[in-house]
Amino acid sequence: MSAPDENNKSSHTQLASHFFSELLDSVIMDVASESHRIARLGLDRNLDDEEEELRLSAQARARLADPSNSEANSKYVVDIFGQTHPPVASEIFDCMNCGRSIVAGRFAPHLEKCMGKGRKARVKATRSSTAAAQNR
Amino acid sequence: MSTTLNPCKHLSDYKLRYGVKGFSLIQKWVKSGPYGKTKTQMERSKSEIPRCSFCCGYEGRLYMCLICSSMSCSLSSESNHALLHTQTQIGHEIGVDLQRSELYCFSCADQVYDPDFDRAVMCEQILGLGNGNLDGIRSNGKRKRLGFEVGLNSDFKNLKRVGGGGGGGGGGEWDHGRRISKSCFPVGLRGLNNLGNTCFMNSVLQALLHAPPFRNYFLSGRHNRDSCRKTAADRLCLSCDIDIVFSAVFSGDRAPYSPAQFLYSWWRLSENLACYEQQDAHEFFMSVLDRIHEKEGKTRNTNKDNGDCHCVAHRAFSGLLRSDVTCTTCGFTSTTYDPCVDISLDFNTTVDHFAANKAQKSTETGVSTLTSCLDLFTRPEKLGSDQKLYCQNCQGRHESVKQMSIRRLPLVLCLHVKRFEHSLARKASRKIDRHLQFPFSLDMTPYVSSSIVRKRFGNRIFAFEGDESEISTNFEVFAVITHSGMLESGHYMTYLRLNEQWYKCDDAWITEVDDEVVRASQIYLAFYVQKPNGHKAGEDVGCHLRSSVSSDSFVSIAGCC
Repeated sequence: MSAPDENNKSSHTQLASHFFSELLDSVIMDVASESHRIARLGLDRNLDDEEEELRLSAQARARLADPSNSEANSKYVVDIFGQTHPPVASEIFDCMNCGRSIVAGRFAPHLEKCMGKGRKARVKATRSSTAAAQNR
Repeated sequence: MSTTLNPCKHLSDYKLRYGVKGFSLIQKWVKSGPYGKTKTQMERSKSEIPRCSFCCGYEGRLYMCLICSSMSCSLSSESNHALLHTQTQIGHEIGVDLQRSELYCFSCADQVYDPDFDRAVMCEQILGLGNGNLDGIRSNGKRKRLGFEVGLNSDFKNLKRVGGGGGGGGGGEWDHGRRISKSCFPVGLRGLNNLGNTCFMNSVLQALLHAPPFRNYFLSGRHNRDSCRKTAADRLCLSCDIDIVFSAVFSGDRAPYSPAQFLYSWWRLSENLACYEQQDAHEFFMSVLDRIHEKEGKTRNTNKDNGDCHCVAHRAFSGLLRSDVTCTTCGFTSTTYDPCVDISLDFNTTVDHFAANKAQKSTETGVSTLTSCLDLFTRPEKLGSDQKLYCQNCQGRHESVKQMSIRRLPLVLCLHVKRFEHSLARKASRKIDRHLQFPFSLDMTPYVSSSIVRKRFGNRIFAFEGDESEISTNFEVFAVITHSGMLESGHYMTYLRLNEQWYKCDDAWITEVDDEVVRASQIYLAFYVQKPNGHKAGEDVGCHLRSSVSSDSFVSIAGCC
């Protein structure tokens, strides 16, 4: 004969189970109701467009990862105007700080020393937004 | 709301016969929870709970009849007293789901929607928000200068319904492009020489050169170098140097240009960033806008606030962000506005569920998307228990929830992907190499304040402030800046979209590339321009040059029809 304890346990379990189902149903209904409203009022995102974008993106990455695709990773031969350019820009112009002729590709490091800036130059200058005092 | 809502026949009939008085019944049964949440709770009196008139049960879904106010429950398909009620009382077809405050048509067997009903619910929710003294609510003094009404009722148009506006003509910066044949290269396409680790500068310059409002401003000669030099006591003006770059790049000369003068000027104006080493392109971008504003801002505005500044940098890039902090105890929300020239986005490591479903390989962890980053940006964020804020309404320190949204979209939207993580604890930085999918056409509707606030109130049909904004929420990409390589030794490049053709701008090298190359690239900064309503996706970002004043600064273009 089953002890009173066991009966209580099973009815407790049933009750707990019952409440859980109620809660679960309520939550599911909440989500369904909210989603229904969003869909019906036209507030949802255009899922088709989003999926299409994702598909195109995946396709693009696959194509580029393809080793047989030489176009993607090839070195430049000519640009669209038919020009070629050396690795270090070779144009020559005068430095606007000191007046010397400098090769474009080396202008920045030159200017840094020329203006006395950078970590290797002198002590940190205080920040000022109109740096009129800097020039000679 | 974009869709016109057609009520079902039964709902229309109900309204014709009974008007909207019945809707106000819901107000007796609605009680707002904290946050002004979508869910409403039932509480007529503390001792009474609603019960089904058939079985006296209180389980399952409870519906209240809109005509006779009787309650009935719906437990399952076998036990549906709500349906029974509509069958025994002919004509009593519309009921209200009490737990969700939603209308239900038993004839259509579907949830239905009505603006007057939503309004009744909203009124109750609004009044229920924060039980403090409504008169005492004031915005933070500082913010009021921006001219926005901050406070409880500002979101709801004084509880009056405003007829839907829809977007207006807007976007005066959009140019209707002439169809330029592909064999002819667009104007303003010119390589920029790398002057020694200056690809960070070149990449941003390329984007600025083709940001429509920015480009139009300089090309129409609105920054007059001659008069500018004379008035400037310090003789330093970055806008003048930008103007020089524009003239050179749009001159028709296709040999790569060396922006040396620009670099020199920028260094003179940005002490702390001036050194020969790789810089961060985003920091550089912000710095350039700052320098332009400093100079122009003084001469053009008396306002110190960036909010309504008329300098070209802000007119092009400035938007307004809204931050809502809600007390979790009383539901009172404190709102502040801050201007911004870009939006920095964290990677959303939550996988986009579409991508997950379609993941080809089992090793693929899913794709991160730009839109999911924007979702993350506008998601309600629970502030930590160590960040308890003082709530002026219930006057205590409580946990709160913060949510960001965009109150006013800029003409040019710059989205910054935070790929560089700096850990203060470990004193190390690392780059997140993860690919980020981004759309060519971007609809910002889900991220604007009116959408976010509306969502917070359960997406009710109600007029929210900002609904009738003139600015279109549709944006089209025109430039992306990519970073490849390692954190310290990487390389920046810009992809430009001109006349529906993508060009790769790699310092001096300009080449044509397919859409695919751009889609597969690792974006760091993405630039979108607002498209006025009426434009379809993919239409030309034309390069129509205005024939206006001071054409002297602008030499005739060679090589383009």
